[in-house]
Amino acid sequence: MIKFHNVTKIFKSDLLTQPFVALNDVTFDIPDGSMVGFLGANGAGKTTSLKIIMDFIRPTSGEVLFSESLGKNKMDIFKNIGFLPERPYFYPTLTGYDFLKFMGQLSGLDQKTIETEITRWAPIFKIDYALKRELKTYSKGMLQRVGFMTTILHHPKIIILDEPLSGLDPIGRKELKDVIIQVHKEGKTVFFSSHIVPDIEEICDRVIFLKEGKLVYDGSVSSLMKKAKVQDYFISAIVPQEIEFKTNLKKCTQLPDQLKKFVVSENDRHSLITELISNGCNIVSVEMQKVSLEEIFYNSKGDL
Amino acid sequence: MIAEKIKIVAYYTFKEILKSKVLLNVFFMGLGLMLVTYVATEFTYGVPHRITLDVGLGVLSLSSLAISLFLGVTLLSKEIDSRTVYMVVARPVPRYAFIMGKVIGLMGIQVINVILLTLTTFIITIILGGEFTPLIFWTIGFILLESLLLLLVVVMISLLANTILSTLLSIIILLLGHSIKDAQNLTLVKTQPFLQKLLDFYHFVLPGFYKFNLKDYVIYKASVPSSYLFATLSYGTIYSLFLCTIIIFLFNKKNLD
Repeated sequence: MIKFHNVTKIFKSDLLTQPFVALNDVTFDIPDGSMVGFLGANGAGKTTSLKIIMDFIRPTSGEVLFSESLGKNKMDIFKNIGFLPERPYFYPTLTGYDFLKFMGQLSGLDQKTIETEITRWAPIFKIDYALKRELKTYSKGMLQRVGFMTTILHHPKIIILDEPLSGLDPIGRKELKDVIIQVHKEGKTVFFSSHIVPDIEEICDRVIFLKEGKLVYDGSVSSLMKKAKVQDYFISAIVPQEIEFKTNLKKCTQLPDQLKKFVVSENDRHSLITELISNGCNIVSVEMQKVSLEEIFYNSKGDL
Repeated sequence: MIAEKIKIVAYYTFKEILKSKVLLNVFFMGLGLMLVTYVATEFTYGVPHRITLDVGLGVLSLSSLAISLFLGVTLLSKEIDSRTVYMVVARPVPRYAFIMGKVIGLMGIQVINVILLTLTTFIITIILGGEFTPLIFWTIGFILLESLLLLLVVVMISLLANTILSTLLSIIILLLGHSIKDAQNLTLVKTQPFLQKLLDFYHFVLPGFYKFNLKDYVIYKASVPSSYLFATLSYGTIYSLFLCTIIIFLFNKKNLD
């Protein structure tokens, strides 16, 4: 659907400053119907990439290609895109309703459709009670909800969101994530950037990972998880007497009531379990250490 | 289709500026005008309506230019700084439709401002026994045209420089545009061919705002040849279209980051 092809972006504000490479030959694509997370630390080049996709800034080299299903010219393509910028600001003296109407009209919707869509989405976003108020009276979470509503009001085929969940409270994050999942289930392609890894891990089926302007990973979340090399096991057991273990223990922690917690590698778990049973210990639990996407992300040195 | 988009942007720009209470200046300007008129009736003999008209047209001109300057300079930079521009240009709206909509929306405010201040001036002048020649309508039209031209100059410069620099440069261009004709007639200039050519070049390239000033003709009921009026109208229109073209070109090329 969208192909980001060999894009390099170099910023150079004036003759005296060193050029800054924000994106270095980055290539990825966003297929139809996918839910793609765009991951990277602050300054990795996520927002720059989104600005290039939306034609706010031009790449130094490379190009962005849109499939014909989105449209043949820029105006048709943009009819099929819903975009929410990072920390969006709105016209403070307009009411929420006026702003939604404004955005709907710009997307080519007639008055009746705008009304229908506002009536449909406002309760889902829990913003219906405040639509007659001026936007300057809205909290950050409320502005984010109104902004999100403007991206889906015109039934776009693809939704592009820049850090949509940052700065929201846990309930707000959960609600917006639910809406993202809902619109994705309705068949829309979702591409959203975040530096909050658990959000992407939770709802995306694919992840694109940028680090210092370079593409580090582009693939499924499950493949990335499988690449994690840490495979330790936590074994808890009631150990009534002191035992001299032959198994190589990574860690052993004494807990109350004769309970001990052992950390062993995948290869040593069977020998520890056998040793515990042969010494008359009761095994309480055996669990594999879960590696989160966040740990993979922060432990990576650009070698994913 | 595109005209519709321009209309929508213009409407919401107008609405937003209107709600920002900028037209409160009409109230204060009107109040000032009445105060000056009262003082004038006390100190002038026989011509207080002329003072009213003079001050009224002056206030009208100043207020229009101030709106162009101070609202024009942030018309785009505010949109870019606050990222509201992203919400609009991420939709099927060409950049030129956005910028023209913004300019037209602000000009709508100018028209309301001019209408209200003109009515105030007319009412006070009529109460004081004054009368008008048809030239008054050309004068008010030219004040609007001058403020449009200044607005376009300000918007163009604001696409290239920051807010403070844009304001300063625009004020300089406005002042020079009003004094260029007098400067060209200075003996010093006439005796220096280089200086004369420099001013001729400036006069050719940058807007001659002095052309739009008909206040003295109205106040002293002097006549102005219709050829001059139409030539100035054409000059203002063509210059405005020229500036619009440059603004659209610059804004299309501009990185919105």
